[in-house]
Amino acid sequence: MAEGSGGRGEGTDKARDEFFSEAQELVDGLGRDLLALDQGLKKNQFDPELINDVFRGVHTLKGLSGLFGATRMSGLSHQLEDALDDLRLGRVELTGAVLDLLFQAVSLYTRLLVAEKGETGEPAQEVEELLVALGQVSGQKPGGPNTTVAQYDLDPGLFGVLTEYEEHRLRTTIQQGLNLYRIRVRFSLTTIDSALDELKATVRPHGEIITYLPTGAGADPETIELEILMASAGALALLRTVIVGANVTVEDVPRRTSASNRPSLLAPSPAEARVPEEFGGAGPAGGGARGGGRDGHGGEQRSAGGGSGGGHGGHAGGGAESEPSPPRSIAARPGPAAARGPARGSTTADLSLRSISQTVRVDIRKLDRLMTVVGELAIVKTAIARLTERARGRTTGPREIAIELQRLNRAFERGLAQMQGGILEVRMVPLGQAFDKLARIVRQISREHGKEVHLVVTGAETEIDKLIVEELSDPLMHMIRNAIDHGIEAREDRLRVGKPPVGTIALNAFQKGNHVVLEIEDDGAGMDSKAIIAAAIRRGMVSEEESRGLTPRETFAFVFVPGFTTKAVATDLSGRGVGLDVVKTNIAKLGGVVDIASEVGIGTKMTITLPITLAIINVLLVEICSRLFAVPLANVDEAIALDESQVRSIESREVLSVRGVSLPICRLERLFSLSRERRSNRAFVVIAQVADRRLGLVVDELVGQQDIVIKPLGKSLETVRGFSGATELGDQRVALIFDVAGLIEEVLSPGENRFLSPSPQTQDGFYDGRRKAESRVG
Amino acid sequence: MATSAKTRVERRAARRSGDAGRRTEYLAFGLAGETFAVQIAHVAEILKPPPVTEVPRAPRNVLGVISVRGKLVTVLDLRRRFRLPESAFDRRTRILLADAGTGEQIGLLVDEVMQVWRLAADEIEPAHVLGGDQPAHIAGVGRPAEAGGDTLILIDLRPILGTT
Repeated sequence: MAEGSGGRGEGTDKARDEFFSEAQELVDGLGRDLLALDQGLKKNQFDPELINDVFRGVHTLKGLSGLFGATRMSGLSHQLEDALDDLRLGRVELTGAVLDLLFQAVSLYTRLLVAEKGETGEPAQEVEELLVALGQVSGQKPGGPNTTVAQYDLDPGLFGVLTEYEEHRLRTTIQQGLNLYRIRVRFSLTTIDSALDELKATVRPHGEIITYLPTGAGADPETIELEILMASAGALALLRTVIVGANVTVEDVPRRTSASNRPSLLAPSPAEARVPEEFGGAGPAGGGARGGGRDGHGGEQRSAGGGSGGGHGGHAGGGAESEPSPPRSIAARPGPAAARGPARGSTTADLSLRSISQTVRVDIRKLDRLMTVVGELAIVKTAIARLTERARGRTTGPREIAIELQRLNRAFERGLAQMQGGILEVRMVPLGQAFDKLARIVRQISREHGKEVHLVVTGAETEIDKLIVEELSDPLMHMIRNAIDHGIEAREDRLRVGKPPVGTIALNAFQKGNHVVLEIEDDGAGMDSKAIIAAAIRRGMVSEEESRGLTPRETFAFVFVPGFTTKAVATDLSGRGVGLDVVKTNIAKLGGVVDIASEVGIGTKMTITLPITLAIINVLLVEICSRLFAVPLANVDEAIALDESQVRSIESREVLSVRGVSLPICRLERLFSLSRERRSNRAFVVIAQVADRRLGLVVDELVGQQDIVIKPLGKSLETVRGFSGATELGDQRVALIFDVAGLIEEVLSPGENRFLSPSPQTQDGFYDGRRKAESRVG
Repeated sequence: MATSAKTRVERRAARRSGDAGRRTEYLAFGLAGETFAVQIAHVAEILKPPPVTEVPRAPRNVLGVISVRGKLVTVLDLRRRFRLPESAFDRRTRILLADAGTGEQIGLLVDEVMQVWRLAADEIEPAHVLGGDQPAHIAGVGRPAEAGGDTLILIDLRPILGTT
């Protein structure tokens, strides 16, 4: 990084952007691996590869943050590396408490990244605390040799060349009662990398490769023979059927008889730990790069015939259940961070799951396809240029030109449609990206509250626009938090009512037409609709009379009203409303809606319905009072001519009967107080639908359909309700796009208007203090 | 060639700094017969007005939105903002694309764009010469020496664009 010569050029910014996006990806990956570890821990399984993955991720982060001068981050990574190294080598047992620390590190990474962007201050104190706690983890090294390895007839020189990690794995697998096998295989030097990978993949389902070393046998300079030491639960016969090949032999490592007088391999003396000469230089394929340094452990590439990884004696493999004297658990001596667990609960409240980087990873083939389309469009352009020439030269008649233009137009349309589709595809990411982070939150919050919660996810592969995923993670987090906080009951309470002690939160996603539906369902206490209605009446949001006609959905909708928190409501509900109004607003910004269904004692289900993409949408253009507006077609059910004779007024609301069904309608010119220059003698009703709520929008004319790119209104207009954005129509005119979900909400929700946010700020600022209602148009 | 141009620039710069300290460039525009001016550094572009789309429910000062090369820009009617009588567009009507550090560009509708004035510190009078209690957006009064008595009302865009 040459600093100072060119100043902060664009290149530096770009590199920084890449740093953020790469770091974010690594941190996300860490979170995923930790979750998998957590899952394994619950089932008493332990996948050593996962720890290795975490270790590698942290190691890369360390390098990355060092490169960009993010010192606190690289300091954290350094300490984490130490702790992870101990975990890898079985010096420390992986417990829930240790995992807590690791999860904490992941969230600290995120905050450090945000701080690095200059958006907030660094969480210096938290990092310091975590470092101390991690230091204590590393400090705890269980001791005590064990002798199980001695029962195998292994080459005494072997321990000299095993790295500490390999030795640890060897001990652990033997303790788990796995059998050891020796595989000899001959590879051609030119294909050794791919052939070895292939072999590893073949072997992986059946066991674990502890190490491989070149034997040095064979005179052929074009090939190399490796001896692979592998642990497996399977029988020799099975392995022989799996691992087949011309140059492969599989054999047992025989168990030694007790009478054996060969020296013990267990605690090799420092002298034995030296690399035997024949191994040091024997591996033509090996880089010999495995120095004593820490970095060597991070390398994924196994170098056959590598140097010494330092065979310290005297550590026993931890983590195995059968271990007679298990390593001391960290939980027995809680570090300061672990002790502060519950007190820390509040910090998750201001936590955000948004990624700090806004990048999308794209399969190169998708880009190639787009490039092909661009090529086709370029051909069209050339053809148009040639046609223009011919028209100017008057060598071609207008008729031929028209025919040719029509052909080109078709080609152009086709190309554009492909281009549009391709770009949309590129923007799509699986919802799983948001779910992974949620699983982390579930774990964290449920531990904080001392509740056991099982998260069941379906439909993580459902694809949705990257921007929506980003905007979705925080609302989802709020909802999950609510479900754990107030939905899932304490263990004893659950047992008392005959529910399984572990609560379940189901997160389901699926596509439904042009929408994606997300359900968050808990099997907790549910919400008491009577209590909600009572509170709504007390707060004057509905009259007692009105309340009798409320549907369950209308009832639960009250919890989304800002300020509907709830000391007055029964205590088991308190807090339910906190943050839910924000959730609703955020979802509405994405053009979605939230609905609640709940039953006391059974649970609560919140359903979010969202459009798949915000980028390009198909709209119906309509005219109201000579102005053009756009209604997203995804929200349009049908459009019919308005028959005024079918309109009834019910409780100051106009209702149209359509084929025997009542449809509330909204006269947009009144809602938006538009002034009319001439009376129109006919009108249409566009029947809009979001989730299963319908509203008829009364318009003057239906103009037609169009694909449009939706653009947000500027910050100065963000308080204006009713529009989700606007689009340019091609002739420099701009049409506003209705926020259909918002309109339906505004028109149909009971009592909500009384809780509207106040009019825009009234300083001598952008707004001059006049109320919105006076806003004059014309 | 290059050197002579350079020395000429330097000489001019030296003269400028010698004569009355630093000068600031202001863009003057007309509004209901009066002349206003804003620091040109805040004006990104001057546009002939494209069709403006009204936004129902928008604050009163907002004339509507326009599309500038695919980006939506909110347009403020400065006449409404300054409580001046409204008038129809004519061929001199312009929109100033202003950016006062809020990140959002805002269009300002003006009757006409006049010229750029380079004002020295001693050609700018503070706002209170117009009497106490002036609105926050009045930054002062410009009296360019070359203008022979004409005055400019200097506008601070920040209160107008909604930030302080």
